[in-house]
Amino acid sequence: MIVFEHVTKRYPGGTVAVDDLSLEVPDGKIMVLVGPSGCGKTTTLRMVNRLVEPTAGRILLDGRDVAQARPAALRRGIGYVIQQGGLFPHRTVEDNIATVPRLNGWRRAMARARARELMDLVGLDLALARRYPRQLSGGQQQRVGVARALAADPPVLLMDEPFSAVDPIVRSSLQDELLRLQAGLRKTVVLVTHDVEEAIKVGDLVAVYRPGGHVVQLDTPERLLSFPASDYVEGFIGFDRGIRRLSFFPADRLDLGLEAVLGEQATVAEALQAAKSVGQPWVLVIDPERKPLGWAATAQLELLAGDRVLSGVPLTGYGHTFRPAADSLRAALDATVLSRSGRAIGVDEQGRVLDVTSFDRLRAAIRVADEAVAEQAADGRRAPEEVQA
Amino acid sequence: MVWSWIPDNLGLIGQLTRQNAYIGIVSAVAGLVIAVPLGIASARWRWLYPPVLSAANVVYALPSLALFVALIDYTGLSDATVIIPLTLFSVVVILPNVVDGLRSVPDDVRQAATAMGFGPLRRLAQVELPLAGPVIIAGTRVATVSSISLVSVGQLIGIGGLGYLFTDGLDRDFPTEIYVGLILVIALAVACDLLLVLARRVLAPWGGSAS
Repeated sequence: MIVFEHVTKRYPGGTVAVDDLSLEVPDGKIMVLVGPSGCGKTTTLRMVNRLVEPTAGRILLDGRDVAQARPAALRRGIGYVIQQGGLFPHRTVEDNIATVPRLNGWRRAMARARARELMDLVGLDLALARRYPRQLSGGQQQRVGVARALAADPPVLLMDEPFSAVDPIVRSSLQDELLRLQAGLRKTVVLVTHDVEEAIKVGDLVAVYRPGGHVVQLDTPERLLSFPASDYVEGFIGFDRGIRRLSFFPADRLDLGLEAVLGEQATVAEALQAAKSVGQPWVLVIDPERKPLGWAATAQLELLAGDRVLSGVPLTGYGHTFRPAADSLRAALDATVLSRSGRAIGVDEQGRVLDVTSFDRLRAAIRVADEAVAEQAADGRRAPEEVQA
Repeated sequence: MVWSWIPDNLGLIGQLTRQNAYIGIVSAVAGLVIAVPLGIASARWRWLYPPVLSAANVVYALPSLALFVALIDYTGLSDATVIIPLTLFSVVVILPNVVDGLRSVPDDVRQAATAMGFGPLRRLAQVELPLAGPVIIAGTRVATVSSISLVSVGQLIGIGGLGYLFTDGLDRDFPTEIYVGLILVIALAVACDLLLVLARRVLAPWGGSAS
């Protein structure tokens, strides 16, 4: 656990980078510090491994004041990842990763064997072991950076804008990778970013900074989106927080119903009958394997002869589907919005139709989820008020 | 060009070439050995660099002949009389490269090294100096080539390696000797330069920025 106790960093000249910060990073959790540039989040991070010394207050690492530790020894016990990895250009990938074990006195062969283990762990091809950093892509360099930070198996990991230098697709896969690693490693992580999306995606806890080195809200991502503590936080999070927070609600909470679903061998008359019985203007047509084929609008079916089979009727495309068991309400909403019929199809792993959603059902599900969050807040340990740092 | 002069004087030519190579290389190496710590100090304490650089430039402005003559009083007619001034010149050439090389180490790399738990000395030895290496070697190449060619000036006080062939050829109005000396000086310089290029390839296989 990392504990900040009334920590202030004032630079000569009077600039206050961090102002009376008190903060706890629980063991095994990812704490994200997020805020605009120059708000003191990086300074906060660097005080943990004493790259910056606080002007006042103290920082405890597992109960011990970091100011009492020898800096080099302290740092070898803390993993550190920076933008673009900060890799040593003159060392091969394996020797970069082996850096801290070597500093700790391991033999070269052992340190390199450890490096290869880590390459495997972070998803780097072992064929890259003898390459130099400049021969790698940005994403690969970043993975090497993470592997190097983990090489000596430190309990604490500090990450300073680790994924900002790569393109959005690579960034997203690196974030997924971090979460996958963290699920197995359970490190205590402090990650600095200016990207709210990233904070919400990877953080167990998110501390929102305001310029001047104040934390204005410290909360779980879910509650940050639901209950921003101030206009500043709300503005910083962005206008679509209402939709983004739906990522935290699993789609299996949706009350889904099978509406008018018919095989392609059914007739137009049967389809109209089915639509009428559920009072809906659309019927879903599926193939014998229960894979969706498309939507038929009752308005159009009425113009056709009643004995025509549905397989010969032009259908409206169903857009993309979602998986209630794995996706969030956000995915379900997205699929619903994109569908011409205003309905999204929930499928199982094999792509077979399970059920169908609609805006009404989504609205109900969101209300239920909101109430659950509010209830949690009511008995919760942390009320959604401003956390003064 | 009297070709037969060459085989007739192989012993002399070999001895002069060895002396020329010895004095030139020792001067460049001594220059490197002095320039590196001086450069490290100049990069570390920024205020130190301007006066050091000015002093070095003044040294460089001194005519080598004047230095040779001045040193005779102290070191007599020994190799040292030529080696000392050439070493000073080498220092002047290599020093800025050491400083520039160390300053060109990217900040994030230096910071990452500190954050990994390198102490200042280890960081210098294992990160900063290796990264500055290609730039330092580039300076050493210039210093080596110019030292080898400057050795011949020492002939004016009698210690000049292949310079002997120039003065002797001139005295005797015998151009063959001068040509042979010239070609050997160039060959020696090019050979040393190639060795240093090779050294850089071996020491900096990651493809440093300096050529």
